[in-house]
Amino acid sequence: MSAQPKDTAPPVEMVEFEVDGHPVSAPKGSMIIQATDAAKIPVPRFCYHEKLPIAANCRQCMVEVEMGGKLVPKPQPACATPIAPGMKVFTRSPNAMKWQRNTMEFLLINHPLDCPICDQGGECELQDISMGYGRSVTRFTERKRTVTDENIGPLVATEMTRCIHCTRCVRFVGEIAGTYEMGDMSRGDSHVIGTYIGRTIESELSGNVIDVCPVGALTDKVFQFKARAWELIAKPSIGYHDALGSNLWLHTKRGQALRAVPRDNEAINECWLSDRDRYSHQGLYADDRAEKPLIRKGGELVEVGWDEAIAFVADGLKKAGSDIGALVAPMTSCEEGALLAQLVRGLGSDRIDHRLRVQDFSDGGPSGATFEMSVEDVARVSAALIIGSNVRHEMPLLNHRLRHASRHDASKHPASNPAHYDISEVHGAKIFAINPVRFEYNFELAGEKVFAPQDFVDAMLCTAKAAGVQGDDRALAEAIAAADDKEDARQWVAALRDAPSSVVVVGDAVTQHPQASWLRVLARAIAEATNSAYNELPSGANAVGLARVGAQSSSGAKAIFDHAPKALITWQTGSQDASVPAAYDKARENAEFYVYAGAFACDGVKRTADAVLPLGLPPEIDGTWVNVDGIVQALAAGSALPGEARPGWKVLRALGAALGVAGFDFVDLKDVHARIAGDLSGQGTGDRGPGQRLPARTTAPEGVLARVATVGIYRTDAVVRRAKALQAHPLNRAPALRICADDARALGLLGGVKADVDGVTLPVVIDAAVPKGCAWIEAGFAATAALPPHGAALSIKAVTA
Amino acid sequence: MKRVTEYLKSLLLLELAAGLWVTLKYLFKPKYTLRFPMETIPRSVRFRGLHALRRYPNGEERCIACKLCEAVCPALAITIDSAPRASDGQRRTTRYDIDLFKCIYCGFCEESCPVDSIVLTDILEYHMERRGENVITKPQLLAMGDRFEKSIAANRAQDAAYR
Ligand code: SF4
Ligand code: SF4
Ligand code: SF4
Ligand code: FES
Repeated sequence: MSAQPKDTAPPVEMVEFEVDGHPVSAPKGSMIIQATDAAKIPVPRFCYHEKLPIAANCRQCMVEVEMGGKLVPKPQPACATPIAPGMKVFTRSPNAMKWQRNTMEFLLINHPLDCPICDQGGECELQDISMGYGRSVTRFTERKRTVTDENIGPLVATEMTRCIHCTRCVRFVGEIAGTYEMGDMSRGDSHVIGTYIGRTIESELSGNVIDVCPVGALTDKVFQFKARAWELIAKPSIGYHDALGSNLWLHTKRGQALRAVPRDNEAINECWLSDRDRYSHQGLYADDRAEKPLIRKGGELVEVGWDEAIAFVADGLKKAGSDIGALVAPMTSCEEGALLAQLVRGLGSDRIDHRLRVQDFSDGGPSGATFEMSVEDVARVSAALIIGSNVRHEMPLLNHRLRHASRHDASKHPASNPAHYDISEVHGAKIFAINPVRFEYNFELAGEKVFAPQDFVDAMLCTAKAAGVQGDDRALAEAIAAADDKEDARQWVAALRDAPSSVVVVGDAVTQHPQASWLRVLARAIAEATNSAYNELPSGANAVGLARVGAQSSSGAKAIFDHAPKALITWQTGSQDASVPAAYDKARENAEFYVYAGAFACDGVKRTADAVLPLGLPPEIDGTWVNVDGIVQALAAGSALPGEARPGWKVLRALGAALGVAGFDFVDLKDVHARIAGDLSGQGTGDRGPGQRLPARTTAPEGVLARVATVGIYRTDAVVRRAKALQAHPLNRAPALRICADDARALGLLGGVKADVDGVTLPVVIDAAVPKGCAWIEAGFAATAALPPHGAALSIKAVTA
Repeated sequence: MKRVTEYLKSLLLLELAAGLWVTLKYLFKPKYTLRFPMETIPRSVRFRGLHALRRYPNGEERCIACKLCEAVCPALAITIDSAPRASDGQRRTTRYDIDLFKCIYCGFCEESCPVDSIVLTDILEYHMERRGENVITKPQLLAMGDRFEKSIAANRAQDAAYR
């Protein structure tokens, strides 16, 4: 069913040659430096980076080459000299050493001697290589040049005088991030690297320029001057703000998480990290972090010890009997999710869920199934269809894979030598998109359709018809038959079907849609009919794992919002995690006994909670997370717990024991993990059963605008929302009503007036990306909390001052 | 014979007199004893005593929080926290503690400092009265530097030729 990418690459031809007298063999077309790296022969370099196109502009990698028994008279850059059979390479001959030393001296001429105040000091490639190839005394006594810095945003600090013009950052921002925001300008002494106009880098992957920069020209602004590389303890950790589970190293000092850098994992994040995962640690130290257990006594929240708090909560839950419900944050670890589910079920209730942003549970909601095509393989597809997803914001590094696919032809051998490329023949994957608004992708789309939420199902029906989907349900079959027959839809489908490997990516705008069950059925059917893999983005960071351990129910979170239980537990969630924050607030106000177990005691929590149990957040706790590909990643605690906060599993163990629920007699997390290990490796709750009926289709009333409520990139969860630097980043757009000019004119919203949207006053932005018939108001902001969810009708009028 | 001389020696208390003669001689010689604290022995310009953090003549603290002294200290006596300074974003320490109980007065910190900020003065007379006073803080160290800058500078000037 799922199309696996066929290995279309021709068998790799190996070339035999010699380096420093040792025989070495490497694939044909590779550069000397790739072969020496594989053979672990050191060659100094600055501009070469294995994931970036070759520029060969630092000239540090000079080696001596002998071809056909004759020495090549000029130095050869190892990073840009392709290997050839019988070639002899000398990396440490007297000539090679001389060239390398001389280049080093040139590079140091203009490099300032400010290592003591440079954040790169101690982890600097220039320091390291100059230890090996530099002179101890400088012969250059003239003035060094200086360069004026640009402010390129709240995430990356610049000190461009230190730049050695390797252009790694330029190539990263262009080739990988795809935003082409940096470049090199001028010549000779005036040569500078910059953004041309002193603007903020708006890429969602911008933090990676820090890692690729070999010197201290680009450094981590959040981490600026906080610590030295040698003081930091690197703990393996993972990102938990999207379901990719990017591998990272958490750098801690005295228990405090100070920064995160990528941990290489080709299957997940390669050597990159999204800014969201890189900078979110700042949120751990927010001012409203809960550090002491609180219980409500006589209307006031008072600080108590853990024993008293647990007894109080157990007592409150007992009183509610089986009328309890639990809302779980999607980033909760599998162990905590499993224990909480066990607790809720042990008390006789089934109302637990983590899919807070989902409105349509008629098919049981998103199943938490893994991707049918692994993230790594997505980079090699020949065609893709994106349905309702701003992949760039939802999972930045999946987007990077799609971009890669769109620019590289997987059927060609990945020759890194540009000379072997016939540019006219390079045509990457065809990527199509059906979205509620025109999202800004960083790759070329082969086709794009934009439909307001109320027209989304029709658009999908039309595509399904073109794909020849029959529909196993009468309502579905009828709807498909009634759909329009469109030529371009047929072309799209043909492209998907003819591609050697193709994928359908389904995202947030589908998951959140009020008729998501229809969309899911159609998307899956289209994938099947076109022999494409079906990759539905999970509804949250650990949605796959939580589904597998059963921390969800078929009635979903909606059942809890619709009928507030007597006792409500929210586990690491905040109201802005819900599709309707107002419903979340109502549920916690209406609950007779409301327990907030989580990390942040914000005002809303303090107002409503009967008990606050301070919990640790992922880098501070042990646990297991499952990513989109079903990779189970166990994590050991990295940083210290603040105050009296405890890991959730310990709290649940105490609570379970106090309530006398069976299965809480374990000693440590290993026992819990052993219990769920079987579930984790399984396939989860699976798909919609064939017999299940689709709900009746609703049609939106004519003439009203429906809301598009994608979640802002840096508003996805409570920790990210508290990371100050991310909040200051321009990708985190202030809440606004985005609307097309026609609709704005009809509503009288032109000319700088503000809009009143269901009682909320919002600035109006005329946005050509928004189709007629809908209004794009990003979710996740306090200001938009009172608004109805994705797909719901809005009543909008101009504010008359 | 030997027995007779020994008998006479002890009868006439000759050894005692010899001893007392030494005492008498020293009684009239100049004294070695110094009247501390009014007098002290001369100290080398390289003497390694209590620490101080120096300033530039314009009053700006020298230390740039490079943390080399913290890294080099064999006794782990130095603890530094750093951050961009609120007023101008420069790299500065927010905390600079030296535990005098841990310090072995090796002077490595002074050797490692790229801006001659941390120095060991020639002060050796100091004491602590309460628990915790053994950890001297950044304001104390800077105050030391301010107070003894003259002698610190003079000592360093004298030693400069040999560095
Ligand atoms: S800023 Fe860093 S990565 Fe960019 S060109 Fe300069 S040295 Fe290279
Ligand atoms: S004198 Fe030696 S032991 Fe004392 S603080 Fe300096 S480096 Fe550490
Ligand atoms: S005292 Fe000197 S060595 Fe120590 S942190 Fe300050 S500048 Fe660096
Ligand atoms: S690494 Fe080869 S020229 Fe820069």
